Amino acid sequence: MASVKLTNVKKVYDNNVVAVHDFNLDIHDKEFVVFVGPSGCGKSTTLRMIAGLEDISGGTVEIDGEVVNDLQPKDRNIAMVFQNYALYPHMTVYDNIAFSLRLQKMPEDQIYEKVTNAADILGITEYLLRKPRALSGGQRQRVAIGRAMVRDSKVFLMDEPLSNLDAKLRNQMRAEIILLRQKLDTTFIYVTHDQTEAMTLADRIVIMKDGYIQQVGTPEQCFDMPTNLFVAEFIGAPKMNIMKTQLLRENGRYFVTPFGSKIEVTGEKGQMLAKKNVPAGEILLGVRPEHMVLADDKDAAAIPTTLEVNEMMGSELHLHVFTEDGTRLIVRVPTIGLESGERESLVRGKKINVTFEGKVMHFFDPETEENLLL
Amino acid sequence: MNKTLEKRSMGLRASRAISNTIIYIILVIMSIVWLIPFICIVLQSFRVESTWQVGYVIPQKWGWDNYIALWNSDFKKWYLNTFIIALVVSVIQTFIVLCMSYTLSRFRFKMRNGLMRFMLILGMFPGMLTMIILYRVLKDLGLTQVNAVPGLILVYVASSGMGYYVSKGFFDTIPKTLDEAARVDGATRAQVLTKIILPLAKPIVIYTILTAFMAPWGDFVFARYVSFGTSAGMNVAVGMYGWLQLDQIGQRYTMFCAGGVVVAIPVTILFMCLQKYYVEGVTGGAVKG
Amino acid sequence: MKRYSDLEFLKLSKGQKFLYKLTSFFASIPRAIGGIFLAIGRFFRDLGLGIAEEFSDIFTTFKEGDWKTRASFLVMGLGSMARGQVLRGLLFLLFEIVFIFYMVTTGGYWMSMLPSLGKIGPHDEYSAVLDAYTKVYGDNSFKILLYGVLTIFFIVAFVYTWRLNVKQNKIAQEHERQGKRLKSGADDLRSLVDEQFYKTLLALPLTGILIFTVMPIVFMILVAFTNYDGTHDGYNNALFSWQGLANFRTLLTWSGSGVNYSATFGEILTWTLIWAFFATFTNYFLGMFVAMMINKKGIRLKKLWRTILVMTIAIPQFISLLYVSKMFAKNGIVNGLLLNLGWINQAIDFWGSNAHSGLLPRIMVIVINIWIGIPYLMLIATGILMNIPADLYESSRIDGANAWQQYTKITLPYMLFITGPYLLTSFTSNMNNFNVIYLLTGGAPTNAAASGAAGSVGYTDLLITWLFKITTGAEAQYYLASVVGIMVFVVVAFISLVVYNVLPSIKNEEDFQ
Repeated sequence: MASVKLTNVKKVYDNNVVAVHDFNLDIHDKEFVVFVGPSGCGKSTTLRMIAGLEDISGGTVEIDGEVVNDLQPKDRNIAMVFQNYALYPHMTVYDNIAFSLRLQKMPEDQIYEKVTNAADILGITEYLLRKPRALSGGQRQRVAIGRAMVRDSKVFLMDEPLSNLDAKLRNQMRAEIILLRQKLDTTFIYVTHDQTEAMTLADRIVIMKDGYIQQVGTPEQCFDMPTNLFVAEFIGAPKMNIMKTQLLRENGRYFVTPFGSKIEVTGEKGQMLAKKNVPAGEILLGVRPEHMVLADDKDAAAIPTTLEVNEMMGSELHLHVFTEDGTRLIVRVPTIGLESGERESLVRGKKINVTFEGKVMHFFDPETEENLLL
Repeated sequence: MNKTLEKRSMGLRASRAISNTIIYIILVIMSIVWLIPFICIVLQSFRVESTWQVGYVIPQKWGWDNYIALWNSDFKKWYLNTFIIALVVSVIQTFIVLCMSYTLSRFRFKMRNGLMRFMLILGMFPGMLTMIILYRVLKDLGLTQVNAVPGLILVYVASSGMGYYVSKGFFDTIPKTLDEAARVDGATRAQVLTKIILPLAKPIVIYTILTAFMAPWGDFVFARYVSFGTSAGMNVAVGMYGWLQLDQIGQRYTMFCAGGVVVAIPVTILFMCLQKYYVEGVTGGAVKG
Repeated sequence: MKRYSDLEFLKLSKGQKFLYKLTSFFASIPRAIGGIFLAIGRFFRDLGLGIAEEFSDIFTTFKEGDWKTRASFLVMGLGSMARGQVLRGLLFLLFEIVFIFYMVTTGGYWMSMLPSLGKIGPHDEYSAVLDAYTKVYGDNSFKILLYGVLTIFFIVAFVYTWRLNVKQNKIAQEHERQGKRLKSGADDLRSLVDEQFYKTLLALPLTGILIFTVMPIVFMILVAFTNYDGTHDGYNNALFSWQGLANFRTLLTWSGSGVNYSATFGEILTWTLIWAFFATFTNYFLGMFVAMMINKKGIRLKKLWRTILVMTIAIPQFISLLYVSKMFAKNGIVNGLLLNLGWINQAIDFWGSNAHSGLLPRIMVIVINIWIGIPYLMLIATGILMNIPADLYESSRIDGANAWQQYTKITLPYMLFITGPYLLTSFTSNMNNFNVIYLLTGGAPTNAAASGAAGSVGYTDLLITWLFKITTGAEAQYYLASVVGIMVFVVVAFISLVVYNVLPSIKNEEDFQ
């Protein structure tokens, strides 16, 4: 139960590779923060600096107001779950969970109490006398979490804890982590490369790339108002469609003209453009696949495309189409909205028209790739 | 940053420096202890003033006398014997070991477990015991004394199938799916071995060759049995052992040193070149048991 | 005995847990022993049933067989040839001819002599031509035993082949009845590089092992029941003959004929075990220690340190051991240096000191063995240490372990578990470490108390070097060497069995892979 504050934290390796640049973040007490980004973005390094497993090259890390830069990991009052679980292979599950408590010289009866309690919560009581080898991936994961749980630490660190599990188990464990968080009621810092995990788990997401923070915000903020093209493409699946196009300004109203169509920017987005007095010119236009719809060919806003792949996802179709100049777009079509026979007619090579509404657009500067609305 | 922090990290660094210094001192001492006998051998092999053991290391008079004496003794014959044995044994033994270990790693036939257990039990008998009879058999075949070289080769090679553990462990690490893929592609079992497994098993092949080549240089007991006092059938170990016995040590001690240098140099050079494979084999063998 | 559930067990204190495990271990012993007897009983039952089944199968094959099958009972391979499997048939027939020829010419003689190991020994016979007694040589016990064993091997092989021949006929007849195509000789050859490739691969190695390992071992086991020695060499001076268990009695009872062999044997065995223990574990721990020093973060020139040590592996042991043995001789370099420096005024007898049952030479061989062994262990430990996942250490740092705790709780158990089987083999091979002892001390200093026993026993003698000494010289007591060899086998097998069964860790070595 503690706040974590990182001020100008920097990591430079011996070979002068800078892994993390000037990282500033305030994590509140009991907050669940997720660091997300592609591999090599510095998210794990940052977490390991908080844990004390990596030296901090510059800046300070504070836990509960105390600077911990030079404290040993064990003195920082943290718990950590590793990607490969890091279970001690020669110890039973019970001994694994009890390990840190024994090092603290806690009396055995208290250890028993705590370990069986944690095992009960995680549903691994019947495996307590087994060795990690005899457990399945999901069970090992639970042991690793149990080991972190019994420490009653101020901060709970998790380094890609689900990435070694299969898809089904991952979904299940994700739900359990949400429940666990409610039970433990402590500060969580969670590292993942999977944006879905980040969106579902986090109070706040920290999106990183090449050692720099790209955006810090709630899942909604990151989804609705990405600060730049990278965040826009990283968050959301399938990823956002990007079209190179012209932004027109006519009588205070804004229009975009992708692939010969003409669509007016409406709603909040339109007002923001006007308020910021964004000049007309070339932009990168972003529209999420779920915001694209099929259109009549008579519509002025229709973009003519050719269907390349039709992915059937059950509740919806993902149509991969390409425009006349070869730009690839993805359109998510709910199956429930399709008329009978229409679904079957969507085959490779079919000419279809797509469009989108004026209020769902994102605008990025083609040079800096920054969001033009911010 | 505040000062106390800086101080603490200074303390950490200082203690690390101290412990590293201690380690360096230990390592230097160890290196000396490990190298000193070999340095002494080299130095004494150049000593001219006496052939007897002396209480000092650095010769008072240097010269090639011992090496010349070596050249004029039976040492040449012993050296050639050992070299031939090592060469032939390393080729045949590698072949046999590979056959054995590949089979036990890849085939699941009826007698497999029984066979492995049987060989484990056989290995618990002291090999020394079988020498008496092998000696008599070799003698009946006329493969002792002057003809000790083919006799020794025969015995070294014959039981080499027992030493399959290390390379079997290595073969076990090559995924079986590779075999299966090749079989689906139409390869016979023999082709799987020659076209898929052997190219992948290069490290272990080299390891097997290397250890098989090095062993005869040091073999002493059986070689002594088989040569039975006949100088022409001795290997270097048996021959040079005689030089250090009470009746000869006075004249031959420095010659022994020179001989040691001549034996050690080629083996050591070969070994250093192939060290990588040796390390791989030894560690793999220990882990796999 | 009370059985606990998992949770009850975990609630126990450390001592109680240990006690519980101990009692359940001892409680399981009767069952384990019972299990062994049960397994033996089951083995013989299965064997009996198997033989009975074989016989009934042979009988039905004959009863239901056509003329080809029936003829094959007498002339092997006839049925195969008659059915067109010429290659197979010829091989069977050839084997039968060779076997019969061998048995008639020589095999019968060896078999008939085997129970007595020879009837007529060397003796003096009157020669009318020379008008003098000349020595005439009779039977050769050694050859009788050797070829007798070989003949038994051959007979077993023949019975097996004959059975195979009958089985082949049955299968072929069945196939013929069902109208299936029989395998041709070409098919047989092809399968030897494909499904049956293992037979091809194993043929050569197993033949070698059979002739050069199995056969001599069987022979030497049999020698333990004879009086084969330098004065009964079976041909030149006297025949040897079966003695039953007399030799075992000599070695194992307290009052032998004038010589107390069991005391000598016990003494050597004790030293052998002490030696093996120290030789294995000093090397193991020191090697690990050296590996950890070299691998420590911040130590430079790692490759140099490693190379210096590894280089010593390459140099043949007989050179380094013989040389070191001379370095520490009474007039060797070490004594010379110490004398010159004035640290001692009398040369230390490193190898000959008799005091305290040869304590000094014993310590010396262990110390020099460390010098020999550390490079190997350093290599092995380095390989394993680098394979220990780094996150185990990171996790333990967060859990609050200091460097010492990391070593005792993670590194050491990990190493021990992963190298368990290696430790066992290294222990048993150290028991049989002939080279180090023989080249360093030759067994010296002489153990005066054991002077009555064969082969001048010394304080640093292991069972294996003693065995070697027994077999050399004119009085070579091969039968005694065989008995000692069998005892070595028993000890090694016992230790291996106990270690494999008592220490569950060794069975669970996969935990780490």
